[in-house]
Amino acid sequence: MSFSTALAHHFLPETILALGVLALILIGAWRGTRAFGLVNELAAGLLGLAILALFFGQTSEASLFEGAFVDDAFARFVKVLTLVGSLVTVLMSRDYLQRAKLGNFEFPVLVVLSTIGMLLLVSADNLIALYLGIELMSLALYVAAAFDRDDARASEAGLKYFVLGALSSGMLLYGASLLYGFSGTISFDGIAKAITGAPPLGVIFGLVFVLAGLAFKMSAAPFHMWTPDVYEGAPTPVTAFFASAPKMAAVAITTRIVFTAFPGIVGQWQQIVIFLAIASMLLGSFAAIGQTSIKRLMAYSSIGHMGFALVGLAAGNEAGVRGVAIYLAIYLVMTLGAFAAILQMRVEGRPVEKISDLSGLSRNNGTAAFFLAMLMFSLAGVPPLAGFFAKYYVLLAAVDAGLYPLAIIGVLASAISAFYYLRVVKVIYFDEPAPAFDQSPLSLRAVLAVSTVFLLGFWLYPAPVVEAATAAAKSLF
Amino acid sequence: MAVAFFYLFSAVLIASAFAVIVSRNPVHSVLYLILAFVNGAGLFLLAGAEFLAMILVVVYVGAVAVLFLFVVMMLDVDFAELRQGFSKHLPVGAAVGAVVLGELGLVALGWQSAPGAKEAAAAPIVAGVSNTAALGQVLYTKYFLFFQASALVLLTAMIGAIVLTLHHRPGVKRQKIEEQNARTRDNVIEIKKVPSRAGV
Amino acid sequence: MVVDLTHYLVVSAIVFTLGVAGIILNRKNIIIILMSVELILLAVNINLVAFSASLGDLTGQVFALFILTVAAAEAAIGLAILVTYFRNRGTIAVEDINSLKG
Repeated sequence: MSFSTALAHHFLPETILALGVLALILIGAWRGTRAFGLVNELAAGLLGLAILALFFGQTSEASLFEGAFVDDAFARFVKVLTLVGSLVTVLMSRDYLQRAKLGNFEFPVLVVLSTIGMLLLVSADNLIALYLGIELMSLALYVAAAFDRDDARASEAGLKYFVLGALSSGMLLYGASLLYGFSGTISFDGIAKAITGAPPLGVIFGLVFVLAGLAFKMSAAPFHMWTPDVYEGAPTPVTAFFASAPKMAAVAITTRIVFTAFPGIVGQWQQIVIFLAIASMLLGSFAAIGQTSIKRLMAYSSIGHMGFALVGLAAGNEAGVRGVAIYLAIYLVMTLGAFAAILQMRVEGRPVEKISDLSGLSRNNGTAAFFLAMLMFSLAGVPPLAGFFAKYYVLLAAVDAGLYPLAIIGVLASAISAFYYLRVVKVIYFDEPAPAFDQSPLSLRAVLAVSTVFLLGFWLYPAPVVEAATAAAKSLF
Repeated sequence: MAVAFFYLFSAVLIASAFAVIVSRNPVHSVLYLILAFVNGAGLFLLAGAEFLAMILVVVYVGAVAVLFLFVVMMLDVDFAELRQGFSKHLPVGAAVGAVVLGELGLVALGWQSAPGAKEAAAAPIVAGVSNTAALGQVLYTKYFLFFQASALVLLTAMIGAIVLTLHHRPGVKRQKIEEQNARTRDNVIEIKKVPSRAGV
Repeated sequence: MVVDLTHYLVVSAIVFTLGVAGIILNRKNIIIILMSVELILLAVNINLVAFSASLGDLTGQVFALFILTVAAAEAAIGLAILVTYFRNRGTIAVEDINSLKG
């Protein structure tokens, strides 16, 4: 097939976003200070268009650009999740940014640029594509974290994120250089072909360094140090973005790289992933218990959830990847819903962040309280909400693969983390009412409602997500 | 002869890298970093990567290091306060450094590539084509996607730097060339007949 | 190649280690941390160029070229964020990583 048809069939979302972002920059530059609203809507439109392109596009597998870009069912599944995360973030951020006098058109532009990086990352099939995808995604995120340039906390968050991100990229690159030197090629398949028999020390170091760099991007413990501080310091819509879309891309590329480039040394990387999973789950459970800020709580919560997703990866088989895919989808909905609720927390025009500010929400706003309570139950993994099924699929895959201790630790961590989620529900329903929240914009209430309905209804009709996840998992093997 | 150059470049590189991290004065650190880059470029030349060596000097030394120097000189830095943690962290730093160096040294000294590594080369170096031409032949064809992606990276960096640091100062008068060019004699000059000793 | 591959790898390992040590030793001084990251990237580039010469494959040099490009972009953004931080705080000393502890 000719180059342009190949592009049109398999590279359409990326093309739409890349050409679109250039147009957005020109519009923003031309309209000047009044550009934010228009650019925001157009960015949302572009992201929506990209999602449509994925839904109605080709279902075949293809490898483009001489093995740099692979389009398979797994990539398409994760790309849809990533695009949904970006789209919802763009929609939710408008009101907050305008009130905080941060309504610059550059914000949606940075979100779209970061999303292009994520799409390239999800489809990456060689080391250079991996690096460029990670860097394009991360550079825009560093700027977004420091976006509120008059706020000391945001600048500190951006700086910390940048320093640790640059360090982890450096480590990942060193590992990548060792892998290139060993196998003579940058392609993942080529690396897999070169590793025959017992891997020499260079390959092990390459594997460890690359996984360490990727674990940082996923905020898996023990590479999670940046997460609580950056989540708390950055503006809330930016935190919502951090917690949703980049995680999808990072987990997806980790899955792809371990199965495509290292199928021969499953034993080695399985140990590393198990360690990351256990550390993340336990840290996410214990460290969140004493938190008073809801954004910090969500940071530790996301670390814990990444641990669970890694349990599915540790299983090392197709069922495990299916579990990871389902977990990502449900985690995305829970996170977006939770941040929609957090963005609504505003008293007399000022945003508030403490858990105690949610006291007695049931008396002030019954619907929002109910939705938030359901979100907390789902995050805790209480049946029959979707969060329970997400954990079920990954733990099932782990048990099937014979990783009984890992599954047991998973169940324990889940039980411990339930404590702080249920504590939020208790504060909402049984504490003295705090000052009521202001009326929130439709976009936030809609996102909260839709995500809660999805989480409540998942057990009734899980087929679309589960089938898509199964197809995605199959395409990796 | 060339081997002597290798040892010279490596020695100066390692010494200046060490000086970067232990210097008291950040300006000195930047200058030592420049020295490290120049010697790194020398090593690249010895390995046959001429284009990369020159680009290292032009981009890294000429742009990045100069940017570092600008920022170091612009920020009012208190040297003494910044050195506070140095001797406290020295044992940990030295221990970690020794461990990392030991492990990586082990990897480096015992290096074996895979048996099929040379054959797996995706872009073999052929004699007779200069390094720059060879890179050009492969960069815009085989690695086209990366070329475009790095363009987006640079665009992001530009937007990021502007959005974070550009402050529009109010009250600054700017030239509007279109208005100046559109000015005609009739708009701005009026000839008044003034009688003697009468004033305007 | 003028010398054996292992010579280049050892030099690169030493520079990498100096970069990592620089970050640990100069935790308060962000500028030195940024320079240490540049040292780490220089080590990676030396690795890639050495492998490229040893394997007779241009791909290593192409990889190094892209790393150079992105490193320049990263340095620009990092310094922009540092300048923003300095404008807000008046100093470039960063308190230990958990200063935002809630």
